[in-house]
Parts: sequence; C-alpha cells; structure tokens
Amino acid sequence: MFFKKGIKKQGPSEKEKTIESFPASKEEVISFFRQQFHSAADLVIKEVCPHLTVLYLEPLIDGQILREQILQPVQNKKIHSLEELYSILSVGDVNNEKDPEKAVESLLNGSTLLHLDGTPRVLLASTPQSITRSLSTPELESQVIGMQVAFNECLSTNIGLLRKLISSTSFCHDQLVIGHQSKSRASIVYLKEIASEELVTTVKERIQKLSIDALIDTPVLAELIEDNSLSIFPQSILTERPDRVASQLTNGKIAILIDGSSHALLLPNPLIEFFQSKEDQNIRWQIATFLRLLRIGSMVFSIFATSFYVAALTYHYEVLPQPLLVPLGESRSRVPFPPVFETLLLEIVIELLREAGARLPTKVGQTMGIVGGIVIGTAAVEAGFTSNILIIIIALSALASFTSPSYMLGNVIRLLRFPIIILAGLWGFYGIMLGFCFILIHLLRQSTLGVPYLAPFYPPRYKDWKDSIIRFPAQFLYKRPDATRPQDSYKFPPSDGEG
Amino acid sequence: MTAMKINLAERPQHSISALLLFFILHSVQVGVGLQGFQRIVFKSAGHDAWISVLISGIWSVIVLLIMVKTLSFYENTDLYGIHFDVFGKWIGGLFSALYMLYCLFAFFIIIRNYVEVIQAWLFPQLDAWFVALTLVVMAIYTVSGGIRVLVGLCFFSVLFSAWMILLLIFPIEYADWRSLLPVMEANITHLMRGAYDMTFTIIGFEVLYFINPYIKEKEKTLKFSALGLAYTLFVYLSVMIVSLVYFSGAQLENTIWATLTLFKIIHFPFVERFEYLAITFWMLIILPNLGMYLWCAVRGMSRVFHRNEKSYIYWFSLLIIIPVCFVKTRNDVNTLNGFFAKIAFGVVFCYPFLLFAVTWIKKTYKERKRRKSI
Repeated sequence: MFFKKGIKKQGPSEKEKTIESFPASKEEVISFFRQQFHSAADLVIKEVCPHLTVLYLEPLIDGQILREQILQPVQNKKIHSLEELYSILSVGDVNNEKDPEKAVESLLNGSTLLHLDGTPRVLLASTPQSITRSLSTPELESQVIGMQVAFNECLSTNIGLLRKLISSTSFCHDQLVIGHQSKSRASIVYLKEIASEELVTTVKERIQKLSIDALIDTPVLAELIEDNSLSIFPQSILTERPDRVASQLTNGKIAILIDGSSHALLLPNPLIEFFQSKEDQNIRWQIATFLRLLRIGSMVFSIFATSFYVAALTYHYEVLPQPLLVPLGESRSRVPFPPVFETLLLEIVIELLREAGARLPTKVGQTMGIVGGIVIGTAAVEAGFTSNILIIIIALSALASFTSPSYMLGNVIRLLRFPIIILAGLWGFYGIMLGFCFILIHLLRQSTLGVPYLAPFYPPRYKDWKDSIIRFPAQFLYKRPDATRPQDSYKFPPSDGEG
Repeated sequence: MTAMKINLAERPQHSISALLLFFILHSVQVGVGLQGFQRIVFKSAGHDAWISVLISGIWSVIVLLIMVKTLSFYENTDLYGIHFDVFGKWIGGLFSALYMLYCLFAFFIIIRNYVEVIQAWLFPQLDAWFVALTLVVMAIYTVSGGIRVLVGLCFFSVLFSAWMILLLIFPIEYADWRSLLPVMEANITHLMRGAYDMTFTIIGFEVLYFINPYIKEKEKTLKFSALGLAYTLFVYLSVMIVSLVYFSGAQLENTIWATLTLFKIIHFPFVERFEYLAITFWMLIILPNLGMYLWCAVRGMSRVFHRNEKSYIYWFSLLIIIPVCFVKTRNDVNTLNGFFAKIAFGVVFCYPFLLFAVTWIKKTYKERKRRKSI
C-alpha cells in the first residue's frame, strides 16, 4: 500500500491523470484504462451487449471461466443495474468497486472488469489463470527416500503443498508486497504456537524496510535481509523441498516464499543445518549419523587437503614419512612449477569443468566429463604439468565438496580453498592455521536473525547436540532446537526415564 | 574523570553461562608456557618437579577461591569496579592502570614467545614483526567482535585442542618410569622454588576478575572455574610426568621446548615430525590468551578512563608490535620471561590476598557503621 503513496509523491503529474471516482460514461472508462495501461496490447476491451463493457488482461485470465461464467450468462440480456448483473454472474468472487486504483490493481491480478454504461462503479470478477508448470521431482535436493515433489513457481501451489503437510490452524500465512515495480507477493509462513514472535516481527520488519523496485527470486531477498550480507557464508537456507520446509516449520523456523520463485527461504539457519539433509530423518539413525559425519569430514578435507599438499611440499617435507615422500618426489620431479602454482592451476581447471558443466545442456555435459577427466587429467600428468598424486587429491577434494546437501555451502567450500592454498604457499602450515583461525573467528562473529551462527555448539546447548553432527533415534528428539527460540520447547513429552 | 559505576548492569544478550568459565579459564591458562615449562621447573625441583606442579595447581585453586570470595562481596562487578570502590578514584585508578599494563605485558610476552618458537622451528627467516602482526590482526578481529566471540574462541580452542593430550601416549612407549624414583628427593625449599617457577605457565585465571560481570549464574562460578583449573592441572601434570620419564635429567635441562620435542617422535603412516603441525596448531591455543588479555586491557579504557573501547583495540595491539622487534636473542626472551614471571607472581598469586583483606575490612567497617546508625 505505502509503495503507492511513494509513487504518488514522486510523480505529481501522474496524480492528475488518475481520477478520484469512476467516470460514468463508457467512452471515458475505456480511455481511462487505455491510458493507465499505456495501450497495452494484451488489454482486451469488449462490448458484449449494448451498455456492458468487459475489460481484462488477456494472459492473466482463465479463458474458460470467462466464457462460461461471465460471457454466456450475460449474452443477449438487457441489464439495467449492477445488482442485476451481480446476480447473473456465476463466478465465485465478485466485487463491487468504486476506487479506480483498486480496479487497476485487480486487473493486474487477473480479474475481469465489467462496466455498465452510466454507472460510476464497476464489478470485478476474479478469474485468474495461474501461469505455472506441473509439479516435478526435486532436481537440486534429490533424495532416495522421501517426498518426490518440489516447489514450483506458483505461490498458491507452494502454500498448498505446505498446508497439505501441516493441516493445522496454527499455520500462519502473512503476505507482504515487495518492490514498487514488480509488486511481488511474499508469503511469510510459520506456526503460531511454535515460532518465536520476536523472530517473526524481525523478519517482517526487515522485509518492510526494503525499498527496492523489483524482487524476482528468493536468493535476492535472502541476501537483502540477512544479518551480514558481506560474509561468504549463507545465513539462510534455500530449499525446493516442501517436506523440508514443513519439518523445519515444526521446529519453529520461519519460511519465506515468493510468487514466481521455486525456492523457499528458511530462517534462522545455523551453520550446522547446511550439513543436514531432510533424508537424514527418513533413514536409520546410525546411517544418518555416519552420513553427517562424512559430510563434515569431507568439508574439512575439501578445504584443507590441497593446501596441506602445498605446505608440505613447499616448506615442511619433513612431515611426510619416507615411503610417502619418495613417490611424491618422483611424480613431482618433472613438474616445472612450484607446488602452489601447480595446485592453483589444477583447482582452476576443476572449477572450469564444473562451471562449464553447469552451463551446458545435460547431453553435452557428459562430454565435458570425458574432456575433463580423461583428456585434461591424463594429458596434464603425461605432459609433466602436474603430479598425479595432486590430481588424486584435487579430484577427491572436489568430490568431497559436492557432498554438501546445500548447493550454497558447496560453493563456499570450493571458494574458500583458494585463499588457503595461497596462504599455504606463502607461509606453509602457519598460513593454513591463519586461514583456519580466521574462518573460525569469522564464523563466531556471524549470526542468523540474531541467533549465533554456530548454535548449538556455541553457545553450548547440549540437548540440541542430539540432532547436530549426529542424529539420535527419533524418540530422543523430543525437544525443538533452542536456536529458533520456540515458544513451545517440546515436540512431544519425553518418554519415561528421560529428562 | 567522572565517577564510575561499581556494579555493571550487563544486558542479557551479552551474558554467558557459568559453564563456559571452564573453557575460558583453561584456555587462558594454557598457552606458550606449556611448550617448555619442564626445564625451568626441573632445574629447581629435579625429578620431583611433578610435585611442584601439583603444589602450584593447588595454590592456584586457593587463589581462585579468594578471588571468587572478593567478587562475591559485590553484586556484579569487575576488578576495576572493586579498585574504584576500595581505593577511591585516584589510587584505584592507578591500580587499574597498572593492572592494564600487566595485561598488555602478558599480551606482549605471549606474542614474543610464540614468535620465537615459530622462528626457531619453522621459519628462521621470517621477520618477528610480521608474525606478530598476523597474530595481532587475529586478536583484533576476535576482540572487536565482542565478548561472545572471544568466549566462543576460548570454547573452540579447548574443544579443538583436547585431542592433543592423547599424543602423550607415543612418548610413553619409550618411558623409563624409574626416573621418577625416589619420590621426594627434593626438599621443601626446592619444591616451593619449583612451584614458583610454574607461575609463568599457570597464570591466566586472573581474567575471572574481568569476566565476572558477564556470568549469568554467579553461584556456579566457583564450581566451573575450579573445574577448569583442575583440568589445566591435569594437563600440566601429565605432560610433566611424561617428560620426566621420557627425557633423562641432562636432556631435560638442555631442552628449551620439551613439550615440542616430545612431539618429535610421534609418527603416523602419513605424517611424522608432528611438532611442525603442533607448533602451528598452537596458534589456536594462544589466540584466546591474546584476545582475553587485550580485552581486559581495553575494557579498562572504557571502565576507568571512560573512553571508547573500539579504537583502543587497535592502538594497544599495534603498539605491542614495536617492542617485539627489539627483543632479539634467546637470552633476551629468557630474561624477559623471568621478569614477567616475577611481576605475574605478585599480581596473580599475592595481590588477590591483599585485595581480599582490604575489601573485607571495608565491608565489615561499613556493616558496623550501618548497624550503629540503626
């Protein structure tokens, strides 16, 4: 609403054009809307019967509803008043509107406008057609076991999916409009009795404070409302899985969905949850724990393995045992570059392959794998550009970086490698440790919606450790995580003998 | 100088749970001292050095008790508040300023010792000022994040370095347990002398004086602080005993960094000469020390002199780099450590008793006055 006021203030000339109430005559109404939409090609103006004018934006309305429920009933009838017209129409949602501005707004949302000549009011029948595709399986966060449906680009479908998973009246759905050009509808979804009111207010305030012109996708919103947009670490999770959103809502989180975006945003989101997959809840706890440990281990490996190679071979070859040092030395004997250069070169090659693979169509993408793996890999070693042991380490660490269930964090891991490799090339292990300490302090400084980023480890909340890097059996997970500051801390009463 | 508030009203989002005191005190205690305290204590107490370690550990717990008692006279205060209350604006201010200087001195000593280790073991050509600068930048980054970041670093420092105690299993393989015998060969003077030599290694728990206002559950302060000190004592005792059985007496007297030398024999299938990794990993162990001492000093600027803290984080820490460049040789560092140990002994082990006595007298005097007036 207040975006409009802002526009009015900006352009006083526009205010002259708009009129306070509807003109009664047919010609004036038509010219008013023509002017408002700058003679848009898709604005359809029809005179169905003598006096009655129908207006709509063609791509936004459902043609079948228009034909069957509006045009057919009024055909060949003499209508004298709006009330009469109202009773004839069989569309469910019809509004009697006096305000021209609101009429324009409803037209933009897919309504059909009916005007009777000589009446200073209009009827607005809601006939929207949802421009959408059918539901498909999740591509980015695919799972073996679990819901096989992803969000699509239609907000009402997405909300419907969530409502289907949580059929409760406590399911709160607040809508805000963002962007004075795009007028994107953003939905804030949370559970009334669980989510912290303070966090909900914070989210709403942050969204309302935005004064941008257009918002097309959720990641942009994430960047705009995060605690620290300058950090490399994402502070909110983007997901395309309705089941993930639903289960996190029951943990007290807040989800933001935007019309036109197939990703939901979950807040607040501590670092550890980037290593958790929804699937962890669907498989046995031993396996889930193992997988989580594997993911965290591979993150550490992915960030530090190549820099360890650089440091060890540049400065501290003493740390490598003899049996390991000899083959390493042999394979490096033909390489003309220092280790740091060799490693950076190969890391960039891997990134090139990944980026090229991501941009190419799937069928051509497979060729990239062959080019990258066989041609570049083997040829580089044979030409003496890199040592084959480095190829193994780099390939492993690239592989490890893809185990992250969050695409966003996978990117972070891959990028973090580069500064640490350079540090290792400059000051060996000391450089690596500098990088490690810097990352640790940086993580300690971050927060997500005011919640510490390293929760539940710091500040320590031992009860929440049960569902962190390990996953306890489901009957022990009776508590909601403290990180979301839930109003109701317990999911279900703990079984006997449990605190 | 306007009158300062004795009791601090800390906002709840800044307060930390008492449990974290365990991590804070342990992480500030363990630092550069642990790398080579064996030689100094051995010189005084011989192969009974472990008893000296025990004595100094128990002594530290007694001092802690006195500190907690002193702090409990007040609702929610730090050392600067007590100084102001007990000694008044000017003398109290002077004492506070001296304590700040002590904190900065500790900050400097830690950096200088670590720089020396880095130069001696890893990079002889690397300039001292450069290593100091990198450490200082890390300390600045931590302290400017506020108390929660600092305490978090303490927490993770303890957590991530806890595994290192397991490395002591490797030297035990070569242990000669008879070298501990006969027990109590050294006389009491020697043992006390050895305990005194532990000062440099065992100090650090005095930061409780400054962290106190931020503790949420004051009644648990003593419990968790004592646990932290006990864990430190356990670490020191194990390292000392393993060193005593691993090295011969003559070796120990000539080994400056006995703990690091212990790591030399550790080898895994993929890594050997573990001291290279250990030395660099030590950065994580000393960062909480640096951060905590810097924070204590900077805290004084706002508490005592009512200045804006932020800018002094940079001033103080960058100022420290200058003296680092002037201390060059091993002898200089040794003399400096001895000098610092003397000061620290006074500040950490003696001053709390004096402060307790004065505070107690003042309190009872006030109480009596109040009763009389009723």
